[in-house]
Amino acid sequence: MELPIPLRQKQAVTRRHFFGQTGLGFGALALQSLLASDGKAAAGNYRIPAKAKSIIYLHMAGSPSQLELFEDKPELTKFHGQECPQEYLEGKRFAFIKGTPKMLGPQFKYRKHGETGQTLSELLPGLASIADDVCVIRSMHTEQFNHSPAQLLLQTGNPRLGSPSIGSWVNYGLGSENENLPGFVVLASGGKTPSAGKSLWGSGFLPTVYQGIQCRTDGGDPILYLSNPSGMSRAARRKTLDAIRDLNTFEHQNIGDPETLTRISQYELAFRMQMSVPEVMDIGKEPKHILELYGAQPGHVSEAESAADPRVLYKGNDPTFANNCLLARRLVENGVRFVQLYDWGWDHHGSSPGESVDETLPIKCQQIDRAIAGLIKDLKQRGLFDETLIVWGGEFGRTPMMQNNVHKELKKGFIGRDHHPHAFTMWMAGGGIKPGSYGNTDEIGYYIGENPMSIRDLQATILHQIGIDPHRFSFAYEGLNQRLIGPTEEGRVVKEIIG
Amino acid sequence: MKCCCLAAVLFLVCLVGDSAFAADELVSFNRDIRPILAKNCFACHGPDEGAREAGLRLDTAAGATAGRDGRRALVPGQPSDSELVARVESDDPDVVMPPADSGHELSAEEKTLLRRWISEGGEYKVHWSFTQPMKIELPTVKQDAWPKHAIDHFVLAKLELQKLTPSAQADRYRLIRRVSLDLTGLPPTPEEADAFVADSSDEAFGRVVDRLLASEAYGERWARMWLDLARYADTKGYEKDRHRDVWKFRDWVILALNRDLPYDQFTIEQLAGDLLPDASNEQILATAFHRNTMTNDEGGTDNEEFRVAAVKDRVDTTLQVWMGLTMRCAQCHSHKYDPISHQDYYSLYAIFNQTEDADRSDDVPVLPLPSPEQSVQIAEIEAGIRTLQEQQKETPDTSLEAMIKEQQKKLATVRGSMTKTPIMKELAEGQRRDTRIHQRGNFLDPGDKVEPAVLGLFGSQDADVPVNRLSVARWIVQPENPLTARVMVNRVWARLFGVGLVETEEDFGTQGMIPSHPELLDWLAVEFRENGWSIKKLIRTIVLSATYQQSAVVDAEKLAADPRNILLSRGPRFRLSAETVRDQALAVSGLLTQKVGGPSVMPPQPDGVWKSTYNALKWIDATGPDRYRRALYTYWKRTSPYPAMITFDAGSGEVCQIRRVRTNTPLQALVTLNDPAYVEAAGALAKRMNDVRGPTSEKIRRGFRLALVRPPSAAEASRLLEVYEALSASFENDSGAAEKLVNAANLEKGDAAMIAVANVLLNLDETLMKP
Repeated sequence: MELPIPLRQKQAVTRRHFFGQTGLGFGALALQSLLASDGKAAAGNYRIPAKAKSIIYLHMAGSPSQLELFEDKPELTKFHGQECPQEYLEGKRFAFIKGTPKMLGPQFKYRKHGETGQTLSELLPGLASIADDVCVIRSMHTEQFNHSPAQLLLQTGNPRLGSPSIGSWVNYGLGSENENLPGFVVLASGGKTPSAGKSLWGSGFLPTVYQGIQCRTDGGDPILYLSNPSGMSRAARRKTLDAIRDLNTFEHQNIGDPETLTRISQYELAFRMQMSVPEVMDIGKEPKHILELYGAQPGHVSEAESAADPRVLYKGNDPTFANNCLLARRLVENGVRFVQLYDWGWDHHGSSPGESVDETLPIKCQQIDRAIAGLIKDLKQRGLFDETLIVWGGEFGRTPMMQNNVHKELKKGFIGRDHHPHAFTMWMAGGGIKPGSYGNTDEIGYYIGENPMSIRDLQATILHQIGIDPHRFSFAYEGLNQRLIGPTEEGRVVKEIIG
Repeated sequence: MKCCCLAAVLFLVCLVGDSAFAADELVSFNRDIRPILAKNCFACHGPDEGAREAGLRLDTAAGATAGRDGRRALVPGQPSDSELVARVESDDPDVVMPPADSGHELSAEEKTLLRRWISEGGEYKVHWSFTQPMKIELPTVKQDAWPKHAIDHFVLAKLELQKLTPSAQADRYRLIRRVSLDLTGLPPTPEEADAFVADSSDEAFGRVVDRLLASEAYGERWARMWLDLARYADTKGYEKDRHRDVWKFRDWVILALNRDLPYDQFTIEQLAGDLLPDASNEQILATAFHRNTMTNDEGGTDNEEFRVAAVKDRVDTTLQVWMGLTMRCAQCHSHKYDPISHQDYYSLYAIFNQTEDADRSDDVPVLPLPSPEQSVQIAEIEAGIRTLQEQQKETPDTSLEAMIKEQQKKLATVRGSMTKTPIMKELAEGQRRDTRIHQRGNFLDPGDKVEPAVLGLFGSQDADVPVNRLSVARWIVQPENPLTARVMVNRVWARLFGVGLVETEEDFGTQGMIPSHPELLDWLAVEFRENGWSIKKLIRTIVLSATYQQSAVVDAEKLAADPRNILLSRGPRFRLSAETVRDQALAVSGLLTQKVGGPSVMPPQPDGVWKSTYNALKWIDATGPDRYRRALYTYWKRTSPYPAMITFDAGSGEVCQIRRVRTNTPLQALVTLNDPAYVEAAGALAKRMNDVRGPTSEKIRRGFRLALVRPPSAAEASRLLEVYEALSASFENDSGAAEKLVNAANLEKGDAAMIAVANVLLNLDETLMKP
């Protein structure tokens, strides 16, 4: 395997030495472990004590409304139906709102939960049952107000395409714990991939070995091309692999290129993955009470998954996301470093059928709420909660005003909100995060009140919890020390939410 | 009058003695000192005045030697009086440089070097790549029988210095396979190899090279390299990622390479073909190079935001592709390492900021071009109309008039269905945009107005020609530009040898790596220009060298001395590109459809890979000849690129990709073992093998030669026969499995065990590697 040599390590013997090591037959994934134990392989000494071993990132693609889920705003309710004051509109760029929209009060009831008194809406009873395990951040803000750039900024640190995702960065920095499984797995639900597509788990300028591997749960190969061709049994495959190995060994004896030995080991690893991946992916092995805890149904393939417009087919009891949550637990249990779940269908503008805060949002919440509570309870009962960082959220928030470009008046099934970059809510749990709340917004939820937390801060905090100094962790490319958190020092580890 | 500020002054600066550092040798600023300063000091004491600490600048001699509070960072010849030495050698954490919290630390060796450099005079030299390349006299070598060519003198001189010997020539089978894969991306047939092996004349290899360079496959193979740079893809990117008709640009590149359009003209047409006097359609089509930037069709986006992003991409890509300079950081602030200021960036941006395109969903302006069939149709209809019009003139008639109208309608329909390729088009006078600096890179935060200009550091322009894209293109290829030829020859070298003479192909600036063979790089750069910028001649020159033709065999000693073959003590051996892995499998199995150009195609891809948001475009597996086209023609969707090729390190086509980083992973093994495309290739190869009359060993030998060109050794042949017999026995016991495998290989009947053997052949390390 060949990696680019960051030029500034021209004289770095470690890395050169490490390339030489490939000749000893280490696989690419094992190489990552070498990187990890070395700790100086990437530029600078960036390793710090880790609070979390793995990350499960639950991205609600489209961006759920914080005002229906986490932000109880009686003042906004008071102004409900009135025209939005001009001060909130002037000089602002909106995706769809035109002219002067009406204010839109929260559509669901709120209550406080747990010892921390967490304010949560009636749409999230599951989350309420674990309210004391999560830290709700109500002061998130971003720079982007369109899905694709906002998702890219969040997941890759760059609103344009072409940079590595967090999962790639983490695997580049830490390597994999289990060389029979990919270190960065992506699971998608909701019938579509997120707006920015597979670029969200691409490796950008890092070697492609660090890209996320999308594992499919809709009946096909869990990893593309994992299965032998029909008619090729495992025994027959073994025979062919033995022949490949022997011929490659002749080749190595003749030519002497260490790359040949790496190839031999990669083919052996592929053979092992053909066993290990389906095994770990098979949630049918889980006992009934665990399946029920999540609301999972092994083997279920929802019709929404292949529909042209899945949104109109959404059902509250669709188990696809629950299956993925259970799978996520199995993956981190088996040493996968970064599991990313994307659930599509959270873009509730109220313009078309299947995208309203009043009717679609409750269905989407049902799909995820029990599953997420189940995931956290399950991780806790297995002693994995403290070493697993869970992150939940969308790519931006939603406006306190009603979207007005299609329906000017409130209409059942078509109540919606536009994109709102200035304030939104995310939550984090496990992995050394202190339960409670952080930050708040003004009385109508338009601007942040106290303790703003930027995308950079979030990225810095995630890296910090997994044992990486976000400021020192970089990769030399295009003459710069490229970093997940960007070139400036504005991103900070939000120590206030760390236990 | 052209002025070439740097070039003229530095004409005499020439880089010699780039050997490993020896104690009795003078310290070289460019080789030894600049990397230390660039890595550790320039971020705070470099060209970026915004980030400069304590008013100290260490990237120029004037800055370093200026008096500050009675002290000078550098006192030439006097290390003990130099504050720089005092600071880097200090034990006091409050005094030491670089500061502890910077994450940088100098090694003892680096400190010694700095001290020695200052005691030897502390002289600054211009960064190596910013000076003119020149041919120096060929170095003398001891083993004077080895060099065939100037290239070999440079390589051998360096090897001898390191006490290494070059390798013997590769055997002729491997040699023809190597050069065929390199020049055309396709393997030779066993018959072509046999003819070469049988031809013992001195010109035999040169003849093979000429044949390959003249083949259409040459343009297809090298176009792929260029398309990575052009960020070519069949969709527009971002959320909707809709289809874009830009394949005619791909075909333009193939044709331009095949007719060996000189690189200076190749450059000018792509950057500014539309501004050439009497520009032809082909020259306008070439400007689609810069229309490969992304367009964001997501609902509710600010088009200006993405228009600006596209223009910045064009500035960055232009400098990266042609001059190996990284500009992106100068969008927000002056470059921290290279002498490119924030203002320089926006001056160049101002030139590119004058085109009509504006992130519109119809991608206008576009160039409609007819297909060959449409051309015929149009000509026929037009001729018909002319005839009718003449008749009308002679005998006016209303029915004639109706017929003419009908034909004109038909003509409009044909014209309307022509492929429309996005192109560059300059805004009309009076509509041109003013450009202001984007403070901190934010287009919503405009600063001072800037005038369009090129980077003066690399030669200026005639004062009496308009400053526009055409003048940028001419500035890039003018002889005073020290980078353009170097960057291109390095790129070609890297595709042939796996690693560039400058490993950081994307960065020839001060943060890039210095060349392993600077004199060779310069020799090639000058030769390239002297040869009329002919890419074919450049490639021919390189592959005819003894250096290129060396055997790749390596022993433990050489491996230890030169693990990555930077010194070129053996032939290049590395994994084939994603495209070549596929094309080779199709070629050796006889499936390959040889057809140049046309709309992109959809070879089989697993179901469900395309599930993009709000995009109705469907992947429909091709069933006819388009199923087996070269990988270059595979439909490329940016947010969901073809999975088998991504696994083999192809890029997504989102941004300019200067080089691909090769990996070696288990997922690659799964592709060539199990991807139905490769299983189908194994089926077709097995069929070709079984077409050979005679014993099984002959069939296997045929398959081996198709895949690897050379004949198998006895051990290889018998091992393959053994696995064939073992598999035959198991398939005989399980005819159901045999039938399934035959069907999986897209055959109605066949020999399952031979398919498995063909699958083995397509998965050998040697098959996947350039030999």
